[in-house]
Amino acid sequence: MVPLQAYLTLAAFIFSCGLYGALARRNAIAMLMAVELMLNAVNINLVAFWRYGPNREDLAGQTFAIFVIAVAAAEVAVGLALVIAIYRSRKTVYLDEIDLLQG
Amino acid sequence: MPELPVEIPIPTPHQAVFIMVAVATSVASLLVVTNRNLFYSALCLVGALFGVAGVYVLLEAEFLAIAQVLVYVGAIATLITFAIMLTRGIMFGTTSPNNRHMFAVMSMALLVFLLVAGLVDRVPWAVAEDLTLSGDGKSLIVDLGWEFVTTYALPLELIGLLLLIALVGAVMLARDDE
Amino acid sequence: MEQFSLLAPEILLFTGGLVIFLIDVFARDRTDSGRGYATLALFTLSAAFVASLFQTYAFFELEVAQKPVAVLNMLEIDLFAALLKAPIILVMILITMAGSTYMNKRTERRGEFWSFFVWVTLAMSVALSASNLIMLYVAIEFLSITSYLLAGFLRDNQRSAEAGLKYFLYGAVASAAMLYGMTFVYGATGTLDLKEIAAHIAANDPSVLAPALLPATMFVMVGLGFKATLAPFFQWAPDTYDGAPTPVTIYLSTASKAIGLAVTARVFVVSMNALLVDWVPIMAGLSILTMTMGNLMALRQQDVKRMLAYSSVAHAGYLLIGITAVAAGTESFMDGINGLLIYLIAYMFTNVGAFLVVMVLEERAGRTDIGAFEGLYRRAPALAVMLTVFLLSLAGIPATAGFWGKFFVFGAAVQRQYFWLAGAGVVNAGIAAWYYVNVVRVMYFGERETDAEPVSVPIGMGAVLVVCTLVVFWIGLYPDPLIEWATTASEQLLSVGS
Repeated sequence: MVPLQAYLTLAAFIFSCGLYGALARRNAIAMLMAVELMLNAVNINLVAFWRYGPNREDLAGQTFAIFVIAVAAAEVAVGLALVIAIYRSRKTVYLDEIDLLQG
Repeated sequence: MPELPVEIPIPTPHQAVFIMVAVATSVASLLVVTNRNLFYSALCLVGALFGVAGVYVLLEAEFLAIAQVLVYVGAIATLITFAIMLTRGIMFGTTSPNNRHMFAVMSMALLVFLLVAGLVDRVPWAVAEDLTLSGDGKSLIVDLGWEFVTTYALPLELIGLLLLIALVGAVMLARDDE
Repeated sequence: MEQFSLLAPEILLFTGGLVIFLIDVFARDRTDSGRGYATLALFTLSAAFVASLFQTYAFFELEVAQKPVAVLNMLEIDLFAALLKAPIILVMILITMAGSTYMNKRTERRGEFWSFFVWVTLAMSVALSASNLIMLYVAIEFLSITSYLLAGFLRDNQRSAEAGLKYFLYGAVASAAMLYGMTFVYGATGTLDLKEIAAHIAANDPSVLAPALLPATMFVMVGLGFKATLAPFFQWAPDTYDGAPTPVTIYLSTASKAIGLAVTARVFVVSMNALLVDWVPIMAGLSILTMTMGNLMALRQQDVKRMLAYSSVAHAGYLLIGITAVAAGTESFMDGINGLLIYLIAYMFTNVGAFLVVMVLEERAGRTDIGAFEGLYRRAPALAVMLTVFLLSLAGIPATAGFWGKFFVFGAAVQRQYFWLAGAGVVNAGIAAWYYVNVVRVMYFGERETDAEPVSVPIGMGAVLVVCTLVVFWIGLYPDPLIEWATTASEQLLSVGS
């Protein structure tokens, strides 16, 4: 059996990758991809905790993971639509060039 | 044959598969956020998502693995790839893909990783003694469906509405009127 | 069946939004004035408001619920939720009344807008009483995702689209961090139910679980702090508030922020009570940072809309004092949570009023910088007087609603002997008074007449402004009932936690 800690460390690594990408990238779509990595790390955590946890029969961790996947789908759809709406008028998806609002 | 000074742990097949999947997923995730070309990033994302599906299989959450492949790889990754192609011209940009906070962010992400990785060993997680799953995979999926329509009926309703809103809203924002 | 009657406001909101949505789908009329949709939204929200008033009445006066009632395993309707639900729905009603012309003029997709607007109220109403982390997450994401859409709703307006995108990108990262924290709570306690989490922590030694729960709480605070615009996660707020359509800005800065703080209070008080002492320094630090940064940024603004945006960040800081200074189990009169409730209700109505006056001028002059307010008193005396009332209430001057909020929140900090925290709050309130009074000064004594025409106020808008002014004075001059309700509600919430 693989220890629980191995899964958590893997998730931590993916989460950190995602965090780095989400904050360091300039491209809005690249940031979105990084956020997806973060959500996947979350799901690994949830499923691992479910598998090793005391209340496996209530399936809480798995259920939560499925909810996360569904919300992620909604989030991506809305996010990409916003990106495309911006791109259409500004011809850029670099966040530091999207700067009408500042002060 | 002389005795080795330390005992080298030989991984079980299960562990060996985990190590391979974990390494592949980690490398793919790292490539997603470091690749200069957005299109390659998206391909690496697909790889990472498949890797995560593999992790679910190792954790005996087969239904989730299928959902992962269908929703994440099938829908979300495809959607992202389409968006990249729709906003092309920036795909092969010559400017830096990262903003000026890159190094600060990198050290922060490293810090988060070290913090959490250092933490996982020190915390008494709520872990069961006996790790065998009761029932077979089929009964688990039946239970999962049952939980959704009983305990989690209310969030399920809400999420249905949310998906409707997201769909309508996304179409409204992205469509071309002319 | 009884469970469904407890869900009456939510069911009404769900159905009403669906009716608007379906009418729009079948009518497919882009030239429709949108007045019908706004009226339907108003009708739905009013019905939900009446239902929630009945609920509040039943809970407080008839005392049907000595204990919180669990609904469908996922919600827990208690006095805390009941007391906030009605004001939040009322705020949405006021925004609908005042903002319908503004929105209908700017978008062709009026049916979508008003159905989303009703559904976002549904999400807030559910989030208030969520007692399970899954429910909490789904409700907060519902609120967030719909808000991204509403902020970027005017997609042909570049400022609106930009506001939506910025809100979205910050929000997506924040919610992922919040989820990551929630997984550690789940891992450490094996459950997702707030009360069972508390029970598990109490059954084990809290200090053993602390290494997992403290980082987990910090991650959760990123997500909730984002909704509540706490430092350092407020950068999105001024840009989004500035660029989003003004009716959306108003609910983001009032109702949505109130949800962020109410959920924070519930999560911390109900499930993390055993670790209360550990998170005081973190929360106090966040609170001081938030109000100081908000106020310093607000001082520099030349644009009144942006100034109000930054000042609403500062208010989140004052509100967090209430959560920091929670005092469970003691016989103290100011237990922090009642201060939070009073402050939230007072703040919501005051801020709605202030933003609406700005909206009137934005409609008229097309700009919201301080110059647009010069000599407002001569052009529109009623408007100027009402804005003065709102600004004084935001500053916390006695006889206005804002005073009692600050009194109870700072009082809770003093009672727990966090004198430095109360001191920081008072100093910040002083700084804030400076820029609020500056606007008042310009309105009465501004010389440069840019626009001599008197400002006309539409009737719906005028009615809403009068309602806001009355509420501000009602709470300011006769606060006893509100204080009593808030205290009962906070005692119940705290008794669940401890």
